[in-house]
Amino acid sequence: MADNKKCGLGHEFTKGILMENPTFRLVLGTCPTLAVSTSVASAIGMGIAATIVLTCSNIAISALRKVIPDKVRIPAFIVIIASFVTVVQLLVKAFVPALDAALGVYLPLIVVNCIILGRAEAFASKNSVAASALDGLGMGIGFLTALTCMSTVREVLGSGTFLSGIKDLLAVFGDVQFNGFTIPFINSHPMTIFVLAPGGFFVFGIMIALANYVAEKNGKSKAELKGCGSCPMAATCRVKEEVGVS
Amino acid sequence: MRSEIIKPALTLLLICLVSTLVLSITNSITSEKIIETEKKQAETARQKVLPKADHFELIGDDEGNEVYAGKDASGELVGYTVAVNDKSYGGDIRVMTGMDVDMKVTGISILTINDTPGLGMNAKKDSFLDQYTDKTAGSAVCSKNASGDEIQAITGATRTTEAVTRCVNAAGNAVKNLTEGGN
Amino acid sequence: MTMTKELFAVLLTAILTNNFVLCKFLGICPFLGVSKKFDTALGMSIAVIFVMVLATAVCYPINAFILVPNGIEYLQTIVFILVIAALVQFVETVLKKYLPDLYKALGIYLPLITTNCAVLGVVLLNIDNNYNFAASIVNSLGGGIGFMIAMIMFSGVREKMENCDIPKGLQGLPITLIAAALTSCSFLGFTGVVDNIFKL
Repeated sequence: MADNKKCGLGHEFTKGILMENPTFRLVLGTCPTLAVSTSVASAIGMGIAATIVLTCSNIAISALRKVIPDKVRIPAFIVIIASFVTVVQLLVKAFVPALDAALGVYLPLIVVNCIILGRAEAFASKNSVAASALDGLGMGIGFLTALTCMSTVREVLGSGTFLSGIKDLLAVFGDVQFNGFTIPFINSHPMTIFVLAPGGFFVFGIMIALANYVAEKNGKSKAELKGCGSCPMAATCRVKEEVGVS
Repeated sequence: MRSEIIKPALTLLLICLVSTLVLSITNSITSEKIIETEKKQAETARQKVLPKADHFELIGDDEGNEVYAGKDASGELVGYTVAVNDKSYGGDIRVMTGMDVDMKVTGISILTINDTPGLGMNAKKDSFLDQYTDKTAGSAVCSKNASGDEIQAITGATRTTEAVTRCVNAAGNAVKNLTEGGN
Repeated sequence: MTMTKELFAVLLTAILTNNFVLCKFLGICPFLGVSKKFDTALGMSIAVIFVMVLATAVCYPINAFILVPNGIEYLQTIVFILVIAALVQFVETVLKKYLPDLYKALGIYLPLITTNCAVLGVVLLNIDNNYNFAASIVNSLGGGIGFMIAMIMFSGVREKMENCDIPKGLQGLPITLIAAALTSCSFLGFTGVVDNIFKL
């Protein structure tokens, strides 16, 4: 891990946002990306919640990395992540109930978001607290950015609105009147397929293609689903060797 | 060999204990706030569907549906609000209905809905909800090709429309049962 | 009679109209990662069905008899994920020891399932929907079968895609996702089917 130290802490932060964007480049956390990107407001809420969990769990796991025995590493990580998720869930329920209603079951499912366990396993368990915190924050913001891009396309084309429902999320800061924009014409003729399930897959595919294009221009490799390569359970799993998954 | 098992187990146990402690502290801080938030939300929803009322009093429940009486500033009865659960396309739906003393709907509001975005979720739009205003709670009818007094169903979401209509009618019946049975 | 009818409706809804993968976006990682070949898709799906039903059977009593009576529902997430992780490990050990043949076929997929959001998802959804024990089990079974159908259909689509001439920019993951979009479209066709069969 000497490489990481050389690159400096700034790199740990910025890499997650662009070049190692967890969603578009590493293809992690696909479930929430597809599920909550039907509206920009809930996507932003999800992104912020996941960023908080990711940063906190990265800090905790990095701080405990020398105490946790290797054998019970994964269960220990899961417990730590699950606690932070529950804390965030309780806080959201208490202060931003609209977000709790919008995210539903996907809020507790942050626990199994592969970005979080993946970063714990690949980064936080091997690096210093400061580097892990920045890595978590960067990756979280990268996830937030990706979600915002996806949901902007889907909401504008699928419902003809932008940031609709943001009022309920901002209610935590007091009474806000702003409740997003209505896009003329599309609003009266929405392409509903974009907010339905197929639209999610389709927009995600196009987004990855765009990300690949940009990456190739910059001389980086394409985003490939490494099957198990990016999966946090890769170390304990033998599907790859035995079946040779893509 | 023994310490190889005991040490990881103890560490894991310790981590679990600490997390549970953190969670119970968070819970004790937030639980009151969560109940308060839910109450406030219900209050706001009641206010929205029965704007004439100044405050609300629980007057009883009919098969689990709590009926609130809305009173204006001078304490005079102006109407009722009832929140009713039903099953819709994507699972549970919860609708708050407000009605005046003559059982005419003053407004409805959807509290919980898990339907398909772009179809069933259109039920949350005011253009749909406003159709119920001035209908008689208990005998509202919806149809795909609405005529006269009927509610026009949302395109592609007849089931959601039906569920909302059932909720409104159930709310009317709950009020009827309570007020007629009580007095 | 009504009970059977209701359970059957829950089953069909979970398989068709609320398909876990294609409509609820749960378990996308294995859906994209392990669906390239029919055999692996089938093996993974059977393991998922097995773990989903087992996890529900274990988590439901824990929730109903330990968490709810003590007012500690806020521990749900943490308890369930630990139970699922332990369960997967336990099943793996048991299979390895007593059913080596089955272990050879399914065992390798088991560790992947711990972090499969479909498993934790189904347990949490059962509680959200206030299902009783029978309905929870049926819903999990339906979710698992729905997952299998999606996996198998999609592995067929992907095998066909191998021989296609795909535009350069879309090769690899993008075309896979677009194919998933089309597969998901086919499930939109089931909208309303279950309700009209059972006239709920």
